[in-house]
Amino acid sequence: MNIRFLKWSVFLIILCYNHSVFSQGFQVNFLSQRQQGMGLAGSAAPYDASALFCNPGSTVFLDENNLVAGVTPVFGNVMFVDSSTQTAYRSNSPVGTPFSVYGMFQLKPAAKLKFGLSINTPFGSTIQYEDNWIGRFALTRLELKAIFIQPTFAYRITDHIGIGGGFVISKGKVNLQKDIPVQDSSGTYGHAELAGKAIGFGYNLGIYFNPSKQLSIGLSYRSKISMNLPNGEATFTVPNGLAANFPNGGFTGSLPLPSVTTLGFAYHPCSAFTVVLDINRVGWKAYDTLAFDYAINTSSLLDTKSPRLYKSIFAFRSGVEIKPCKSLALRIGGGYGFCPVPSGYVTPETPDGNRIYGTLGIGYSFCEKFCVDASFYYTKITRSDTNLETNLSGTYTTIALAPGLSISYKW
Amino acid sequence: MVKRNSFFKQIVFVCLFGITLTSCKPKENLLPNTPGEINLQQFVAIGDGNTAGYMDDALYQYGQQNSLGAILQTQLQLVGAGEIYNPLMGSANIGANSSLLSKLILGYKTDCLGATGLSPVRFAQQGEALTASVYSSQNKYSNFGVPGLRMIDMVSTSFGNINLPQHNAFFARMSKDQFNLPGSGNYSSVQENIFDGGYPTFCSIYLGIEDVLPYARSGATQNPMSPLVGLPGLGFEESLTQLCGQLYSQNIKAVVGTIPDITQMPYFTTIPYNGLNLDDEKAASLNQIYGPLGFSFSVGSNPFMIEDPAAGAFGVRPMVEGELILLSVPLDSMKCHQYGSVYPLRDEFVLTLAELQEIRNQILAYNQVIRQHSNFYGFAIAETADFYAKLYDGFVYNGVAMSSKFVSGGAYSLDGIHLNPRGNALLANVFIKAINKTYKSSIPFANALFYSSTYFP
Repeated sequence: MNIRFLKWSVFLIILCYNHSVFSQGFQVNFLSQRQQGMGLAGSAAPYDASALFCNPGSTVFLDENNLVAGVTPVFGNVMFVDSSTQTAYRSNSPVGTPFSVYGMFQLKPAAKLKFGLSINTPFGSTIQYEDNWIGRFALTRLELKAIFIQPTFAYRITDHIGIGGGFVISKGKVNLQKDIPVQDSSGTYGHAELAGKAIGFGYNLGIYFNPSKQLSIGLSYRSKISMNLPNGEATFTVPNGLAANFPNGGFTGSLPLPSVTTLGFAYHPCSAFTVVLDINRVGWKAYDTLAFDYAINTSSLLDTKSPRLYKSIFAFRSGVEIKPCKSLALRIGGGYGFCPVPSGYVTPETPDGNRIYGTLGIGYSFCEKFCVDASFYYTKITRSDTNLETNLSGTYTTIALAPGLSISYKW
Repeated sequence: MVKRNSFFKQIVFVCLFGITLTSCKPKENLLPNTPGEINLQQFVAIGDGNTAGYMDDALYQYGQQNSLGAILQTQLQLVGAGEIYNPLMGSANIGANSSLLSKLILGYKTDCLGATGLSPVRFAQQGEALTASVYSSQNKYSNFGVPGLRMIDMVSTSFGNINLPQHNAFFARMSKDQFNLPGSGNYSSVQENIFDGGYPTFCSIYLGIEDVLPYARSGATQNPMSPLVGLPGLGFEESLTQLCGQLYSQNIKAVVGTIPDITQMPYFTTIPYNGLNLDDEKAASLNQIYGPLGFSFSVGSNPFMIEDPAAGAFGVRPMVEGELILLSVPLDSMKCHQYGSVYPLRDEFVLTLAELQEIRNQILAYNQVIRQHSNFYGFAIAETADFYAKLYDGFVYNGVAMSSKFVSGGAYSLDGIHLNPRGNALLANVFIKAINKTYKSSIPFANALFYSSTYFP
């Protein structure tokens, strides 16, 4: 046990007992292990093929072909304390597995044109609450998955400016479940499951500028994507006497994945030291209403329009990388994001609040071509609210840990 | 190289250490439960069928276990109340009402038009017997809810006297007299039973509904409401003063419920006054019949016709908005035999505006007395009227829509008068709110979704 060990331990312990709060819907920012080590920032400091997604314009300053694959298991735990009964209910969500695969290519060394493919999961969440929890009639489980496939091209205009863009195909699925407050003769409650495959399209643009060797600036814009469920399937389990009121059948719906605008700065006074700062603007205002339109309506099954009224938010992220030697990089960072969910609209799907988080990371090059990056992310979010639609009132506390790992091969 | 490897291992170790250290689960920081200024060593719930758990037009075990009294005590147990002792009915949950009919359940019924639909039906041919005594000197009841108990019955010695035809069988089976028959021939009152073998330290009192309900249920034709004035046992106010005074003299604290507007209950509100739907032909034929009296009918919805001795020479008139039809009305006759149109509804099935005014005024007068005396003795006041009114308007509780709609509203049992377990839990919360406020206690509310609502076949 040396001093370093103790420092790390103390840092972790402080993080774990930090009671600060909160923020950002179902966005998942686990895109690059290096960024995950540096507070999820670094869009202006291209490092590997993950730049295809983080800022496509920056890729043209990486003189290499590169393949990167990474995964970040997310261990998330939500606890809801109902204010009136003073009872705690917990989530037992499965481990989330955001992943990313990037391939970036050039036709010759130092080529002005770069092309590549980015496949990752910048949005999604699976949350499942314990059986019989007090909010069971609002939600028992939500699984939201979106895989972004983005073919990308980038071009170096001058030695200081690069631009890039990609077309995004988002394939996803949604599975929403809740109990229905009707009981059969044994007292068992009804259940509703709304499931469907969704698809959406968007784009990703980036411009990168390095006025000097020490400073670089990046601006990128990922468009909003409307995930449409044209052929959802609604399945209801209810007492026989009410089967006619809850007919199984199709439904349609739509869920917006908001735009993300990122202004990034990177400063590296010497090769062993880099500081990065990213400012995100996330267009959550797009999430105004969650609507379900059922193919067959009855007096018990009407189309629903639940107001969400999210607000667009800013998030600030920053981190540092130190390279004690050429093959080793140590990273630390953190950030703060404002919550897009206004008071009165917090739901069990996204029990979100303003978010403060910390990250650690390490990178190690085994040789010129092959390197491994690992990161660790921690956040604790608390949010108290009374939902205006369901009157569910209490405090959500979320703790999320996300250790991530990626391998990279370049040539 | 060796050094780097060991450092890498350390980092992995620290990460794992961090994960296990916090186990990444949020900690529960719940507010402490405190009794405040009340002593819950001996809690007793006093009241009528609501407190007893009468529901679905019967007293049965599951209802008793999910009564206002039982749910309230369950929450009070979090701050020191003892075990719940109910005068339980049989475990088969057949139940009995005062006519010895079983409980109602939701079943299928075919009406006179041949349409089969969900409807309350009796669970069994016959209800449970109420003759066997359940009294035990070992375990004093913590629930003295008696279906049918009026405020003015508290000190009555004929209430449990099985030799009298008008005695209350629900009380008789739980009274100590049944175990130890009085030699004098004098039977003990509800109040004597409550105080027998030691005074309680805290009481909930929810009485008064039965002082008006039987009158309302008869369409204001019989079962007169308890007069406000009169000696204990006759008048509402003095009966209440007597009870409150007794409690106060023994330093017993209490929470007292006010009386809701019973005319907002589904028993009175399910059938709309203007539910008479007519086509061309029927409207014409009714116009022929009632035209000479000056009443006219049109295609679509029309008010039902009722008997009203005050209405002109023929004592018949159409209903007006605000008047109520009782659920006791023969529905098949209305659907198939022109009852409510050609044949006017009898007085016993209808509450007219004047009758409603009389009932509501009486409730207001009772409530004024309840508030006045409760304040005088420093008791907590549970404003149940607000809760019933909120239910009448409808509200959402933790994602579940609650209302006073018959069957689908989720709070009333199938008799349309008494609450079901979920309704009782919501009502218990009104009492808890009052206790917390008056006695500076911190008792958590019941989770009403833990308690069941109507079961569907």
